Amino acid sequence: MSETVALKASVREQAGTRNSVRLREQGQIPAVVYGHQKEALSISLNAHDFIENLHHGHRLFDVDIDGTKDTMLVKDLQYDYLGKSVIHVDLMRVNLSERVTVEVMIELRGTAAGTHEGGIVEEIMNSIEVECAVRDIPENIQLNIKDLGLNEVMHAGQIELPEGFVLVTDPDAVVVSCHETKAPVVVEEAEVEVEGAEEAAEPEVITEKKETESSE
Amino acid sequence: MALMPKRVKYRKHMRGKNKGTASQRNYVAFGEFGLQALEPHWITGRQIEAGRVAATHFLKREGKVYIRVFPDHSYTSKPLEVRMGKGKAEVEGWVAVVKPGSMLFEIGGVEEEVAKEALLRVAHKMPVKCRFVTRRHTLG
Repeated sequence: MSETVALKASVREQAGTRNSVRLREQGQIPAVVYGHQKEALSISLNAHDFIENLHHGHRLFDVDIDGTKDTMLVKDLQYDYLGKSVIHVDLMRVNLSERVTVEVMIELRGTAAGTHEGGIVEEIMNSIEVECAVRDIPENIQLNIKDLGLNEVMHAGQIELPEGFVLVTDPDAVVVSCHETKAPVVVEEAEVEVEGAEEAAEPEVITEKKETESSE
Repeated sequence: MALMPKRVKYRKHMRGKNKGTASQRNYVAFGEFGLQALEPHWITGRQIEAGRVAATHFLKREGKVYIRVFPDHSYTSKPLEVRMGKGKAEVEGWVAVVKPGSMLFEIGGVEEEVAKEALLRVAHKMPVKCRFVTRRHTLG
């Protein structure tokens, strides 16, 4: 991921929804560039090139904006309502040696010991925030859950980070847990119990006048 | 039992319009896999319950099912052979107002193939076209 990929971009003269829609129809993605105390700049990227590199795990780009080259880090992505396609990109100007705070995916490795005793592994957080040098940003951080027993949890502080990394996420935050599942029989019983009351049940109305008030 | 609110401010709602697409709750938040609506519709409490039962029966002791929609909108209907007028009818049931993109159900703690089959069974209980989605990789 430390490798940078060359991308070409052009400055967007016209901002706004309609112009952005037109850009997307032409195979471009609207983007914004900021950082290093320079003025924010609206640009457009080639959608195919950008998405292809993104899917290969690249987050660092050498963007050539009308002849001016800068190293940039993908800071944020906006998706359409179905979460299928990228509709906007936030790029931040960076130096390869500077330290940044980034969100890195957690990859669970191994089978938890608790699963052999009937437990299920629940991934509560799938990413953590770390501070590291730009050139060292990893694609993911591996977490071995082999020793995770039944009714046990692993916290963010237990994740082994590479040298030079600082954990930004709360170290006490639960990342993964292994717990028992509810037996389906209990669900069935509960269903039978309340089935009779289905028709009669009605929510309480907060604004409803009480009988005593109305009679007066 | 079909889902419904415990307390409401007013019993009867206006029907409203169901326009546009989902801008909130349109991503997998709790589980690893989800069922996303592709059409706008009202989903009744009974349909949600049917989906939940279908998923939990298929999964048995494995995994965890998350229901991402709640029927908080009431609908009314007049009884048979009743003339029009005489005010708004009584509440018939409760529905969740769903827009394209809304995440309906989520499943976690199981393999992708198992989750896919479970959510397919849930999709059969839904009145809308659905698609299976996985939790999005950070920035990917």
